[in-house]
Amino acid sequence: MRQLLTMTASDLRQRVRDRSVLIFALVVPLALMYVFNLVFGGMTEIELEPVTVAVAAPAEDELAPVLEDVLTQVDGLDVTLQEVPADQVRSVVDAGEAGVGVVVPEGFGAAVMQGEAVTVQVIEGDGTGLEAGVVISVLDGVLAQLTAATVTATAAAGSGLPPEQLAEIAQASLASGPPLEVTEGQAADEQLGPAAGLVAGQTGLFLLFTVGFGVLGLVTEREQGTLARLHAMPMRPGLIIAAKGLVSFVLGVVATSVLLTVGGLLFGVSFGSPVAVAVLVVCVVAAATSLMFIIARVARTAEQAGIAQSIVALVLGIAGGAFFPITGTGALAQVLDLNPIAAFTRGLGITAGGGGVADLGVPVAIMLGFGVVMVLVSRLVPDRGAAL
Amino acid sequence: MSIQETQAPVLVVRDLVRRFGDLTAVDGVSFAIARGETFGLLGPNGAGKTTTISMVAGLIPADAGTVTVGGEQMSPRSVAPKRLIGLVPQDLAIYPELTARENLTFFGRLQGIGGAALKSRVEEVLSLIGLGERAKEATKNFSGGMKRRLNIGIGLLHQPELLILDEPTVGVDPQSRNSILESVEALSGEGMAVLYTTHYMEEAERLCDRIAIIDSGTVQAEGTRDELIRLTGGVDHIRLEGSGDTAAAATLLRELPAVQAVDADRHSLVLTVRDAPTAVAGIVNGATNAGMSLADVQISRPDLESVFLHLTGKALRD
Ligand SMILES: Nc1ncnc2c1ncn2[C@@H]1O[C@H](COP(=O)(O)OP(=O)(O)OP(=O)(O)O)[C@@H](O)[C@H]1O
Ligand SMILES: [Mg+2]
Repeated sequence: MRQLLTMTASDLRQRVRDRSVLIFALVVPLALMYVFNLVFGGMTEIELEPVTVAVAAPAEDELAPVLEDVLTQVDGLDVTLQEVPADQVRSVVDAGEAGVGVVVPEGFGAAVMQGEAVTVQVIEGDGTGLEAGVVISVLDGVLAQLTAATVTATAAAGSGLPPEQLAEIAQASLASGPPLEVTEGQAADEQLGPAAGLVAGQTGLFLLFTVGFGVLGLVTEREQGTLARLHAMPMRPGLIIAAKGLVSFVLGVVATSVLLTVGGLLFGVSFGSPVAVAVLVVCVVAAATSLMFIIARVARTAEQAGIAQSIVALVLGIAGGAFFPITGTGALAQVLDLNPIAAFTRGLGITAGGGGVADLGVPVAIMLGFGVVMVLVSRLVPDRGAAL
Repeated sequence: MSIQETQAPVLVVRDLVRRFGDLTAVDGVSFAIARGETFGLLGPNGAGKTTTISMVAGLIPADAGTVTVGGEQMSPRSVAPKRLIGLVPQDLAIYPELTARENLTFFGRLQGIGGAALKSRVEEVLSLIGLGERAKEATKNFSGGMKRRLNIGIGLLHQPELLILDEPTVGVDPQSRNSILESVEALSGEGMAVLYTTHYMEEAERLCDRIAIIDSGTVQAEGTRDELIRLTGGVDHIRLEGSGDTAAAATLLRELPAVQAVDADRHSLVLTVRDAPTAVAGIVNGATNAGMSLADVQISRPDLESVFLHLTGKALRD
């Protein structure tokens, strides 16, 4: 035990001293996250000007407020509602006081709930192209949603519910509809947003480099002759392997935790329950470390090991969504699913959506299963560098 | 040295075999080393010295045969017998990122030494190998000779019962080389058993109580230096050069009891004798009496080089 700690501590000290681990495990991935976020993140985040919407809605209509609420909740668009009488909507828009005008007709709520046709009038002002377009498409989406909601409500009406409850059901059904939906912090969704996906994917990719600083040290030690000397020490040979695995594990856990935390702060994303995230981190680091044991056995030189490691890191990292989300269909999808980095990203999607440890069964099983298979395979492949 | 001869040997190697594919690198090697004894493995490149040592130190498994250190069988998985050995590998085995002191401390800990004992032993070894001044420097900045000395220091840090040195003086300047040889002599004097491999016969002659001459994975001969030299027939040569009647001198000298044969030409005589240093005076006298006036006298005695040549038909160094 003491020997295990001696070897682990000495390795960690050397890795910290030669700085390369700091650069590879932390500096490069953070810099890349920043750059990629500028490049890819910029495309999805078009700057929209604030817009005022003049709304005329009949008083005491049950559904009109839903329509208004939805408009003020559009992501990335700052909407100010201005209540005006129906006959003044056009003049307000023409005067440029509002970018868009909306006239909700009398009996709107009742008509929708009975599944009758109803027209909401929209007036578009001059020079408000993009913003007005967004408002209009949102309204379009809401109205389409309302139709679906009406079906729900009508079905419920058959069950003899009082009208107030029907209105509630229609509203609830509408509120959870997908087009305008922002689920963060509400449901265990497996999709991360673009920024969060980038942080998670880059963290997973660079983890595959970081863990190499432990286990692949075996190849370096073989080259610099110290492995022979370690084998002459009064300890079981397995202890040497264990120490390298431990170094990988410690470096991996530290780097992954720092990257998720700093990346999260930089890009304003949260991955949810720290305990659940910690479980994911431990599993993905174990999986990544196990992979290194195979490389350590197959590679004859440190250079070969480095190349093999880069290839593995890029393939698994890219397939795991380090640069952009990757999805496949059929058999390809199943293969992609077995990638521990993809499982890690998916797991973070679950925790970010509010999931806890109990919801992580599948990704955890994939990562640990991957680790077990890799360790078994590493025992089977011949040790190409074993001869002195 | 014969004082400890009654004790059980520290190291016993019996019928050791190791193959690499079709090549049998070590082919039935046996020897034993007692406490305080320095044993040499003398052989050319590729003879199987390092492979033998790797099995003795438990780095690689043997295909056949046994290694026993301090009465316990050695294998790559054994722990207790490894405590008794200190290994100085032929190739440097030090951490370039760590300082000399950190290298020593690290391997000392793995040997199970700790605390104040380790601290003072590390300082002791640092001054023994002459690196006290540079102890705080990363070893990647060291010269080749300094690295070699540290390499040796790590091997003897824990005061092993058996010190194994694999060609420790290769690539070292004459001064450092001499200090290495002196340290080995001192350690052996303290009772350490030493297994020393080299392809320098002068080193083997100077250091080793017994020597095994190894070639192509087999021990060709084993014994003390004198025992080995006797294998060549044990004869010396004396060469006389000068003017006068060399033929008459040859006839006269042939009568001397020490002289086995004489080869003569017009200006020189080459005599084959039993013990040149004691015979030389009588021979010079005889030649002068026979009317030769001598210009030069040379004695040549067989060395391990000639033993190797005699046993294998080839030169020790290629
Ligand atoms: N790992 C290995 N794989 C294949 N062949 C090997 C291996 N190690 C040694 N050999 C071969 O075994 C033979 C003995 O090698 P060894 O290193 O024991 O010689 P040596 O006496 O130490 O030589 P040197 O004086 O050059 O160090 C050589 O022919 C060598 O090529
Ligand atoms: Mg050798």
